[in-house]
Amino acid sequence: MSDREEAGGDARSSDGVRRLWARNLLIWAALLVLLLLSLVAAYIPMGRVTTASGIVVAAAKSTLVVLLFMELASAKPQIRIAAISGLVFLVAMFALTFVDVLARP
Amino acid sequence: MSDESALLREPWFDFGRQREAGKFGIWVFLASETLFFGALMLTYTVCRIEHPEAFAAAGRETNIWYGTINTAVLLTSSLTMAVAAQASEQSARLRRLVLSCLLLTAMLGLAFIAIKGFEYKEDIDKHLVPGAEFALPQRGAELFYGFYWLVTGVHAIHLSIGIALVSRLFWVLLRRELPAKDNPEIEVTALYWHLVDIVWIFLYPLIYLPGRAS
Repeated sequence: MSDREEAGGDARSSDGVRRLWARNLLIWAALLVLLLLSLVAAYIPMGRVTTASGIVVAAAKSTLVVLLFMELASAKPQIRIAAISGLVFLVAMFALTFVDVLARP
Repeated sequence: MSDESALLREPWFDFGRQREAGKFGIWVFLASETLFFGALMLTYTVCRIEHPEAFAAAGRETNIWYGTINTAVLLTSSLTMAVAAQASEQSARLRRLVLSCLLLTAMLGLAFIAIKGFEYKEDIDKHLVPGAEFALPQRGAELFYGFYWLVTGVHAIHLSIGIALVSRLFWVLLRRELPAKDNPEIEVTALYWHLVDIVWIFLYPLIYLPGRAS
């Protein structure tokens, strides 16, 4: 590899590194903002909405992690099916349980 | 491709297929982990519906600072883990970045465990362990702390396994026993690490946030 090619490769990779950090730091900052948001919301008395806000923010945070850090957004279909199957059975488990618990007199 | 032949394992003949299969396998495992922790969280939810006041009182007793700082620590470890995984895919020149991010990830994981240790010490001193000496009078508060000890303990075991996997990867890559570029072990370890982070993301509002507004 000539010096010029070497320098070109270094420039490309340092540019790539900058993009890599910019993308991931942005996601990280969003996660920390969401963490602070759920912390503050927990101290505001809104009854059930206060409880729900914590769960909704947790869902938003995990969506960011799953789609962007775990790269499910750009994953192949068989990977998405494997990931979603866990979610589907989780929803079934919660739904069947709540049908009983919430309908009790 | 010498890198690929160094990484190729039985029974695959093709590196691309090996990567796909590894990724698919870990996602199936993570789906089963989702159900495992989901069942624990469902138990918590049912108990909380039955004893809302007791769960609010019990949640107030947890240390919000330890909980929040540890959440930030784990979110940051996911950042360094994601950078390590993406850098390994990007270029062979980024070996040092991969190594330093793996080291940071393991250290942040250890920091989480250390902070959790201080928190456990405080919980024990405050008699928040279910049993004869339990501090809170409300019926149902012991259920909350039963969940707390079980689920944070199981989470800490998962995290410890993650720290061991990341440390091993760091060591193997440092000694150049395996190449960092496109190493599927980094990808699979990263996916496991992120799931352990997601479990904590959900535990945070369940454990630390109840009862703060009342």
